[in-house]
Amino acid sequence: MNPRLLLFIFFTLMQTQAFAQATVIGKVLDEKGLALPGANIQLKGSYDGASSAQDGTYQFETANLGDQVLIFKFLGFKSQEIALTLKPNFNEIQSIYLIEEITEMNAVTISAGTMEASDQGKSVVLKPLDIVTTPSAMGDIMGAFQTLPGTSTVGNDGRLFVRGGDASEVGIYIDGMRVGNAYGTTAGNVPTRTRFNPNLFKGTFFSTGGYSAEYGQALSSALALNTKDLSVRSQGDLSIMSIGGGYSHTLANEKQSITASANYFNLGPYQGLIKQEVDFEAAPNGWDLEVAAQKKTGDNGLLKVMARTESGGMKLWQPLPGTDRRVLVDLKNDYSYAQANWRTILKKDWMIFTGISYSRNFDKITYDSIKVERENKLMHLKGTAIKDFSDRLSAKFGIEHFIHLFSEKLINEGWERDFDDRETYLFTEWDFYLNKDLVFRGGLRGGLSSLTEESWLDPRVSVGYQLNDKGQLSFAAGSFHQLPVENFRVLNTNLQNSESNHLILNYLFTKDGFTLRAETFYKSYDNLVTFEGTMDDPQTLQNNGSGHAKGMDFFFRDQKTFKETDYWVTYSFVDSKRSFNQYQTEVQPSFAPKHNLSVVVKHFVPSLKSLIGASFAFNDGYTYTNPNVDNSDMNAKTKSYQNLSLSWSYLPKPNVIIHLACTNVLGRDNVFGYTYSPKANTEGIFEAIPQGQIAPRFLFIGVFLTFSKDKTANNLNNL
Amino acid sequence: MNKYILTLAFSLFFIVVAQATDPAFIAAMQKQLEAKKTIGTYEQSQEVTNGFLRIAEAADTEWLPLYYAALLKTEAAFRFDIDKDKSFDEAMELVKKAQKISADNSELTALEGYITMGKISIDPGSRGQSLSGKAMQLFGKAIKQDRENPRAVSLMSQMELGMADFFGNGPEKACGMARMSLELYKKEEAKITEEYILPTWGKMQADQVTAKCN
Repeated sequence: MNPRLLLFIFFTLMQTQAFAQATVIGKVLDEKGLALPGANIQLKGSYDGASSAQDGTYQFETANLGDQVLIFKFLGFKSQEIALTLKPNFNEIQSIYLIEEITEMNAVTISAGTMEASDQGKSVVLKPLDIVTTPSAMGDIMGAFQTLPGTSTVGNDGRLFVRGGDASEVGIYIDGMRVGNAYGTTAGNVPTRTRFNPNLFKGTFFSTGGYSAEYGQALSSALALNTKDLSVRSQGDLSIMSIGGGYSHTLANEKQSITASANYFNLGPYQGLIKQEVDFEAAPNGWDLEVAAQKKTGDNGLLKVMARTESGGMKLWQPLPGTDRRVLVDLKNDYSYAQANWRTILKKDWMIFTGISYSRNFDKITYDSIKVERENKLMHLKGTAIKDFSDRLSAKFGIEHFIHLFSEKLINEGWERDFDDRETYLFTEWDFYLNKDLVFRGGLRGGLSSLTEESWLDPRVSVGYQLNDKGQLSFAAGSFHQLPVENFRVLNTNLQNSESNHLILNYLFTKDGFTLRAETFYKSYDNLVTFEGTMDDPQTLQNNGSGHAKGMDFFFRDQKTFKETDYWVTYSFVDSKRSFNQYQTEVQPSFAPKHNLSVVVKHFVPSLKSLIGASFAFNDGYTYTNPNVDNSDMNAKTKSYQNLSLSWSYLPKPNVIIHLACTNVLGRDNVFGYTYSPKANTEGIFEAIPQGQIAPRFLFIGVFLTFSKDKTANNLNNL
Repeated sequence: MNKYILTLAFSLFFIVVAQATDPAFIAAMQKQLEAKKTIGTYEQSQEVTNGFLRIAEAADTEWLPLYYAALLKTEAAFRFDIDKDKSFDEAMELVKKAQKISADNSELTALEGYITMGKISIDPGSRGQSLSGKAMQLFGKAIKQDRENPRAVSLMSQMELGMADFFGNGPEKACGMARMSLELYKKEEAKITEEYILPTWGKMQADQVTAKCN
């Protein structure tokens, strides 16, 4: 065709279009047929269009006649397009029904058993900052979680105990990868701490039951810690504390960041000043080195690498009941942990994650003349893929493999025993939103152990239902398997999984500044390990124990009523009985007090640039066996546990923080149980030594400094 | 044949040039910018936002309509009683979209910082620590990208003032920056013509800071 003719036709067409005018009117409604104001209506390829008014109607003029496409858009709703032919003058369009998209922000979440700690998100109960500013926590992640519902404080242990379960029933994960020996090794009544510093993490999912099929080998609880993404700026952080010090340095740009840190602590000088109830020959001490790096890959990928090594120990005299003798306990611990993980978004709504982690724990314990060495190595390989089929249906698939090596040596005797287990897991989990107020989740987890030659299947289901604007109801049920702890398995490698089934009903109410959470649960225990003899010398171990735990807990947090004040109150009731360890009949375990109360209050005083905190913990006492009463198990209970802790954080300058804290301010002499002499004395009485605190109080002073070219760098997040 | 190609090349060239200074685009933008000045309610704000989004849809190589839609969503969150987090998040989405069209854009970086400031204002107690560094970094980056961008400087001065208040320090640093931004606003004003549709806002914020200075 002649190009000139082409141009001519083109311009003629343009002109006709410019002269005729059309009016377009119509109405936009939502799924329920209610008027939808604020929707955006537009003729494709032109600037012509309008917004829908309060009554859902819209009207606009256009010069584009003929075959057109009309687009309806509204954020949070699925867009629609309709083809139509516009004639001059008046064009009435059929009513359009826009369907709301289901997103993380507007849809109900399943809150049964789950508590989230992060900056954002819907079911958040704790913020990362709360972990460092809760007075009783002393900067330990587990300390902060002990103020949450479903947990009980066992002051001479320090680990997390959930709903009548022992500490080994909590599975700890970093970025989805299992952490072996997450707590420091300890001796006597010295409480342990998490090895990992809270400032590594941006958020935490803490589940007290009924959790996702992604997690296994934990009868009671899953604790998933998520590490920070890219650091925003290069800086150095120096900490000088009454118990030691450390330095960490971060280098960052927009694509990658790396943080290296070194810390040293020694309670020696502190214990020299303040008298301890435990006779330390060498106070707890240790050092650690850590490197964490993050790198963006492509548009949506993130690679994280972390490695840590540490070494520590303590030496203390342990008294023996009924005698004047004491025994020297010497403990040395070496620990290394490394992991790498990579996640990215692929085309067609696939998200993939791959990770590898390795931990090695080495303990060298001398108890009087007995020398023991224990080594626990755990390697975890994992891959998951998530596919969003639509905004209503998504699925997760995963595969995991564990290599678990454990060995134990009696040095003087030259005896050694070990085990080598390979476990493989497959899991899948499906989320189905019927609408944005109702979600169903179904999961299945299958496992296989080479050592026990056993395979098992854990089905899990949960439902979330939005009752109204602020309240929601969730239900969860599921089955959970866990292999016994290493020091039992090494004695009898035929020990099989213990089993637990959970039933949970949860109500969550959130309104700006207020959170109310109420939960009731029942869980059963089967195939728990029992043995004859004592904990120090277990004989004939078998999967013979069973039991249950039931109860309810309440959590209330208010950040609004009182100015600059934030407080939360937690009450947990647990009724737990089980036959386990040396207990052949069902008893209430010492680590499961019935009534547990915790109150945390924080008040910010702007004029003093200070955050003042107080926390109070109470439980009605720990059960123990008193041979002087009768010969039944767990026939006595200690007096109630009470601990009031205070803290004061002062920010004189943006880059300086001074932190002062004291636990058990009132100096209450808490007792966690008693150790009895194995034989009665001449008067027929078994003499006892209380298992108490290592000191009435613990005092902490620290100064934290941040150095950065950016003078406004704030240290609070690294407290 | 040669003539044919020439005509084709010419008309292609014509199309490219037409897009860059498309008078229809400028007219449509100006219409919405006028409407933006009279916003008094959230509904009106939504209407103008939609107007910019329509332009963005039709002119999908332009960052400016997305920029204004994001700015409106940010201002709406500050001004009106709505779900603020949601509005800020939507604004951020729009900025990210605009950044795909125009990388290394000082105005977009400054707006990203402004939205971050908004996110902090909802819950300063717990978000301030993690986000204030990010906001400052974004303003710093925006200044680096364009030393003449008065908004990057005045927003940074606002942030500085907030932190000086918190720590009981003097406002000197914030004041210096605010004054510097006022100079830049003056320079910018000289550039404004009838066809000018680039951002010009922010002088008021700088004035608010200097009002606290002696």
